[in-house]
Amino acid sequence: MTTSVLALPATVGYYEPWWIQIIKAIVIFAVALNLVPVVLLVERKLLGRFQIRYGPNRVGPYGALQPLADILKLLTKEQFRPRTSVGFLFALAPTISILTAVAAFALIPFGNVQSIFGTRVGLYGVDLSIGPLYLFAFGAIAFYGIMLGGWSSGSKYSFLGAMRGAAQLISYEVSQGLALVGVIMTSQTLSLTGIVRAQGGMWYFIPQFVGFVVFLVASFAETNRTPFDVTEADAELVAGYNTEFGGGRFASYYFAEYLNVLVVSGIVTTVFLGGWLMPFGIHPPGWVDPIVVLTKMSFIVFLFIWIRATVPRLRYDQIMSLGWKVLLPLATANALVTAVLVVVTH
Amino acid sequence: MSAVIFFVAAIGAIAGATGVVLIRDPFFSVLSLVGHLLSLAALFLLLRAELVAAVQVVVYAGAVMVLYVFVVAYVGGEEATLSERLRGSGPVGQGLRAGAVVVGVAILTELLIAMLGTGLEAIHKDGAGYVPGPHAFGTPAYIGQLLLTRFLLAFEIASFLLLIAAVGAVVLAGRMHEHAEPEQARVGA
Repeated sequence: MTTSVLALPATVGYYEPWWIQIIKAIVIFAVALNLVPVVLLVERKLLGRFQIRYGPNRVGPYGALQPLADILKLLTKEQFRPRTSVGFLFALAPTISILTAVAAFALIPFGNVQSIFGTRVGLYGVDLSIGPLYLFAFGAIAFYGIMLGGWSSGSKYSFLGAMRGAAQLISYEVSQGLALVGVIMTSQTLSLTGIVRAQGGMWYFIPQFVGFVVFLVASFAETNRTPFDVTEADAELVAGYNTEFGGGRFASYYFAEYLNVLVVSGIVTTVFLGGWLMPFGIHPPGWVDPIVVLTKMSFIVFLFIWIRATVPRLRYDQIMSLGWKVLLPLATANALVTAVLVVVTH
Repeated sequence: MSAVIFFVAAIGAIAGATGVVLIRDPFFSVLSLVGHLLSLAALFLLLRAELVAAVQVVVYAGAVMVLYVFVVAYVGGEEATLSERLRGSGPVGQGLRAGAVVVGVAILTELLIAMLGTGLEAIHKDGAGYVPGPHAFGTPAYIGQLLLTRFLLAFEIASFLLLIAAVGAVVLAGRMHEHAEPEQARVGA
């Protein structure tokens, strides 16, 4: 099913025979699966440093095996579920979250079309003519992961968390989409590889600075990270929408959250930070491309953690007024000004 | 492969649509509608209408249905189904039921005319072929061009209608806010 979905939509640039697409699907999933524990460990270590303590340092050298121990602990736990919960939705909701996160990861281009052992392979899961719209489509489905998880738990805390999450997701998705419109108009393409190629002259975070900031802030809200984590708000809601989840199902939500952070960093890298391009006109050989992308992504991930350690959680009404009264007008103005500039300069 | 996906999506679409009508709990009714819309998006993908598929998911499954889920989850489940509630409400209910039958038959006739008149001609043909390139059939560029040239009037009217709706929503919300003001002040004090 995965391969057919990948093979179906027409790719803009180049697209490979079916067996390469299967291999790519597996490789991308493996990369995503292995990046998440790394991000987890880095976050806990960095949070420790920010709070003047060590962070995990018992399991393995420098605590490097801590995520592995956590995963093992979670997976061997009992699959508990409350009596008031709705059985099949309770089991389904975390899989929706994880599925949409992995599907969105397929969009991030890690490099140009390369020649590997004589076959031409694009270093991305799929290069769609609808680009960011695919991302928003899966973002829309991801909403059901949180919403159904909270509703089917049959608990008030979970329900409130899910409702807050739902309102927050719809509010910020608008600004997130509008922030990208400026980039799309400047590059004149929806294909993410096309957007990267259009940044040969200048990375878009300079001419599209307003769009960059709005997209970044909206992405923090979309991934439910601090300062926008009222869906989980442990001071008021125990753990929000995933209060009743334990064991493997909680691990799924956890995994999806960190994978979403990675996806958002990848999209920011691709759209605003020039993807696999190097600054100052350096053109390295093709195998460097993924390293460049991962380096830029790790900067954004660091920013995520830095802000988590620095900024306190916003109140729910503050989040709503920030989204609708600040970010949305900014994003709209940015799109309008860009539209005028594009018409004038062409 | 496309035949398999077609039948999976088609069965999903029909099952979702019947589920909306038959399921008692409104929350599951809404979820079944979401399933129906997602299956339709898969069918659009088979027809090489990528943009339409993405818009289908973003707008309907992502925005419209979210509001439905919101309302149903907050308000909670009604015990009786729609038809049961209509049955018990006297002459108004009877009128509504008769009206529903008339409207249902009218829509069915219209659909059948449309389908038998045109749709079945294409049933033995293949869909639009795969053409790489940014301006191929079904891509955003192609649809955008159509919207701003051939269907410009309809496009502008639709956008105007949406603007009116948005302004109306703001006006209504503002009026509610005026009424709610003294109460809020009391809570604050």
